[in-house]
Amino acid sequence: MSDHHDEPESTGDEPSRTPVQMPTSASWSDPHLQPAARHPQFVERLIGFTFIVGLLSFCAFGAAYWQNWAPWALGLTLGAGMLFVGTGITAWGKYLMPRGPFVEERHVLQSSKQDVESFTNALVERGATPVKRRKVLGGMLGAGMGVFGIVAMFPLLRSLGPLPKNTLATTDWKAGSYLVDQLGNRISQYSLAVGSFATVFPEGWEDQDRGQAVDQTFLVHLEAEGPIAGMPAGRSTWTPAGYVAYSKLCTHAGCPVGLFERELGLLICPCHQSMFKLAEGAIPIFGPAPRPLPQLPLAIDADGYLYASAGYNQPVGPGYWERP
Amino acid sequence: MTARLGMRLPGRSKKEREPLGPYGRVGKAVEELDERLGIAKGGKTFLDKIFPDHWSFMLGEIALYTFVILLVTGVFLTLYYVPSSALTIYHGPYKPLDGQLVSQAFSSTMDLSFTVRAGLLMRQMHHWACDIFVGAIVLHMARVFFTGAFRKPRELNWTIGLTMLILAILNGFIGYSLPDDLISGTGIRIAYSILLSIPVVGSYLAFFLFGGNFPGTSIIPRFYVLHVLIIPAVLVGLLGAHLFLLVRQKHTQFPGPGKTERNVVGSPMYPVFMAKTTGFLFMISGVVALLGTFFQVNPIWQFGQYKASNISYAVQPDWYMGWLDGALRVMPAWEFVGWGHTIPFNVFVPAIIFPGIIFNICYAWPAIERRYTKDNLLHNLLDRPRDRPKRTAAGAAMLGLLSTLFVASATDVLANFFKISLNTVLVSMRVLTVIVPVIAYFLTYRICKELQAVPGAGKRKVVNVVAMTEGGEYTATPVAPPPELVDHELDAEPVPGLIGEDAPADAVAAAAAVGGRPGNVGTSSVRTVPR
Amino acid sequence: MAPRLTSSARQLVGAALLGVTVVLGLLSFAGAAEAATVKGSPPKVEQQVIPRPTPYYDQFNSGMASSSIRVFGTNGQLLMYGNRDVKYYLPQMLVSGKTPAALWALGYQLFEQNCSACHGVEADGVPPANTPSPGNVPYPNLTGLGPATYDFWIESGRMPAASTPQTQPMRRPARLNELQALAISDFLNTKSPQCPLCYAASPFVPNVLDLATANLSDGAALFALNCAACHTITGDGDALANSTFAPSLRDVPARQVAEALRTGPGNMPVFSGNLTDAQLRDVVAYVTEKIQHPQNPGGLGLGGIGPVAEGFIGLALGVGLLALVGFWIGDRS
Repeated sequence: MSDHHDEPESTGDEPSRTPVQMPTSASWSDPHLQPAARHPQFVERLIGFTFIVGLLSFCAFGAAYWQNWAPWALGLTLGAGMLFVGTGITAWGKYLMPRGPFVEERHVLQSSKQDVESFTNALVERGATPVKRRKVLGGMLGAGMGVFGIVAMFPLLRSLGPLPKNTLATTDWKAGSYLVDQLGNRISQYSLAVGSFATVFPEGWEDQDRGQAVDQTFLVHLEAEGPIAGMPAGRSTWTPAGYVAYSKLCTHAGCPVGLFERELGLLICPCHQSMFKLAEGAIPIFGPAPRPLPQLPLAIDADGYLYASAGYNQPVGPGYWERP
Repeated sequence: MTARLGMRLPGRSKKEREPLGPYGRVGKAVEELDERLGIAKGGKTFLDKIFPDHWSFMLGEIALYTFVILLVTGVFLTLYYVPSSALTIYHGPYKPLDGQLVSQAFSSTMDLSFTVRAGLLMRQMHHWACDIFVGAIVLHMARVFFTGAFRKPRELNWTIGLTMLILAILNGFIGYSLPDDLISGTGIRIAYSILLSIPVVGSYLAFFLFGGNFPGTSIIPRFYVLHVLIIPAVLVGLLGAHLFLLVRQKHTQFPGPGKTERNVVGSPMYPVFMAKTTGFLFMISGVVALLGTFFQVNPIWQFGQYKASNISYAVQPDWYMGWLDGALRVMPAWEFVGWGHTIPFNVFVPAIIFPGIIFNICYAWPAIERRYTKDNLLHNLLDRPRDRPKRTAAGAAMLGLLSTLFVASATDVLANFFKISLNTVLVSMRVLTVIVPVIAYFLTYRICKELQAVPGAGKRKVVNVVAMTEGGEYTATPVAPPPELVDHELDAEPVPGLIGEDAPADAVAAAAAVGGRPGNVGTSSVRTVPR
Repeated sequence: MAPRLTSSARQLVGAALLGVTVVLGLLSFAGAAEAATVKGSPPKVEQQVIPRPTPYYDQFNSGMASSSIRVFGTNGQLLMYGNRDVKYYLPQMLVSGKTPAALWALGYQLFEQNCSACHGVEADGVPPANTPSPGNVPYPNLTGLGPATYDFWIESGRMPAASTPQTQPMRRPARLNELQALAISDFLNTKSPQCPLCYAASPFVPNVLDLATANLSDGAALFALNCAACHTITGDGDALANSTFAPSLRDVPARQVAEALRTGPGNMPVFSGNLTDAQLRDVVAYVTEKIQHPQNPGGLGLGGIGPVAEGFIGLALGVGLLALVGFWIGDRS
């Protein structure tokens, strides 16, 4: 390398910050190529130190992995190793390598007029010459590919899932469905204290794969005696013995409306804070939910067990296009 | 040297040992490769490629290297994760879930967290890397936006980068959903409702993506394929294109001494930049590893398996989805019902229309600005944000809107923290969502104008030499700065009809005084800027 | 000769290094092989020991087991203070027509001093005429609520109320000690409607003595179904409608958790009829062991408020720190 030591370009005490071209092999003594550090030896020692610490950390990581130590030991050794080695490499590049700055000319990306011309010409004219009726042919080819695309697309899309049909509008609740809890136990009118609630399902819901999602219903013993005053017209018999049941699916985005504030008489959706008034047919009074929660008409059999006197009279959950 | 080599390798015959030339075995290897591939010329150009040194150019590298970490840790996770909704009974070291019926996805993620060696570390590194990945992309994008780096000729790279941001957000959400825990399951439930809300085709889209009614058993394996194969493959492809364009078009740079429209000033690829960037890769890995060690993220064992009838309060998505959740919260309860159909505007607008508008504005911005300023020139030197007050103000308004919505996604947390009514917080958030962008716009605009009006704001200060005279008196003498610092580096670059503003008069004068910009020479690609 | 020696020495060292590396590699491979076997019998995984830091119920209810606290009435009757089941003696005493004068008198005195200004001397929620009620909210009628209710409100420090009016009283250090709470409870029981059915219907202090046998797994499932909707899945609590809030569960003693479940203080639902005694114990055990002492093997728990805190850390610490590193690596001009 000694044969490259010519034309020293030192211009004074302070090295110039004016950028220069990347030197060719002729000018290795350019001050721009000197290390940026004022005390390279010292920096070198520091970098050596970080590399050694990094090396030891990686060794410790190996040991930690081998011995299956706690996650923090694994992470600490790995992270420290990476950090030290990285600091060392960066410092190497920043302080011990040519300080620059260097300059590079931008080449013009744009092609010459002739090149553009000949390229366009090739594109337009070369394709036109061999086939005179290319529009017809092209149209036929396009139509063929289009039909293939559609035909290929439809089986693919179609086989991804069943058609919605009416399934979004229906639940497994029907007239006579007994209310059961998650374990399948029927709910007696005497079991829940006033102010207690339960998430209930129609008996036999375990056999439905979507039962957990669409059948979930919020049952609450709201008042000691029924029916509850203040319910919407036509629902006077839906709340026997002070029990009332609503779909637990929010009419906004379908989250389970499981947040019950007893004294305020509110049901709140934990996702986006829609608030529904329990004693007034679960009308929304706040938040982004647009509709009341659908209500399940309740009845009590001779043994005191709660059952649904009918299914939901409207689709449960969030809105969608086909929803009437 | 050759003698020692010969001693070590006695089997080789003397004929094969040709003299190696001045560059030793490296030279030989280069020669052999060049004979076959012709690498020398392009290779030299590549080694000489100049990278700007300004620190704000490192933001994209953070994104790049966290992506590398995501790929590496992600591969580790795929070795143990089971993408299946099939039910199994969890038996493992975490006792509060022992014996519960959970999906295999959840169970395998529990094993990753408690049983697999270094599994928890890898999981947490993956999650933190993702949070940083998206954050770095957004910062990088903000830098590109506010400095005008997206202008011609780089509109295509802006588009590619924006697409990568969208894919990153999408893949983050999908990956967050894979453990099938209570909180992410709630997110999937909301995603299903969002699909349902699309008029006409919504229910079909939802059924085809989920394979039927919510929740079904298909969504976890389908999300898995999207998360580990399709979206990463597209991301890698786009990343390649992004970097290729970067090399082909070369970097932008801030105005400064010796920096013109026709050159790039900085450090060469080899060895300076290579060392710095490799070091940065290691340091980023180190920071992510330490985050994954000391800050617990997404502790699914505390959440438990997702069940459609279970719900937790205060559920938020990861931060990059927060603005969408906030939009869902502040949207009024509007729903159209009529003619036998329902259009849930309360979901469709904030979750589909609104992000659509936001991203389309971002996609269209280079074209909008080009049209508005009639500026069709090539730009390689960056703007100072203050010199483009309308663009800067528009960006601030956008950031203000998104930040407000992000805050709105934590209405409950805010109400709890400040002990105020939840209702009050939500109503204020609705108001703020409207007024914060407006205020941000005008405030930023004003600040930009004020900064412009202060001559020399942000420039290097004049150095004074303070001396004490014999009589104890202090005198301050201004010293002329070195000649190369007396430059137009901080002056605005005049652009015809620049976005609604004429260039400040003093900037034009200064540019004229130094004899015009070196970059503005007339070639076929870089034309003289009229002033 | 010297270079030759050096080179062979180098070879020796190289060979030794190579050997050590190979041995280390093989060993670590053997070690790693164990890591690969996740399913089956993970050999090195330590059995999870559920930490059992002195539970609250031990501190409070040990009286029952060790008979450390017993209160006798004037007629020599044991009032069963330990489990706080004051209900058992009351009907009996009403029959006998005698009152345990000492305890009752203490309760009467404490009630007069601390409670009657708002709840009225008859505990019926009708205060003395000159006491204003904040916000036109009537003061609660305290009769017939049952010992668990009285105990919960007094022991959790919510009553006697703070002087500043609050939408919802907050947990604070208890103003009255246990004996005083019991005395007030005793006094209020005699103010309650004197019918046996009323006593049977009012919630009694639940027995949470045998949490050790509780099923944590069932408790976790019940918590996710019933409690997480308000208190959050990590038990931190959060703001609810109209300035009400679900309090944090992080520092609630076991007995108070059980009492709150059974009595439903404030806006909290009552859990009576939908939780068996065993299930109640499961939930209480889950709250006092896992909610209050969560397992955070992955580092700091970040307050358990989930992605908000995580996002903040990710952006501020992660991106911020790395941007600073970039600031160091790059130029500032």
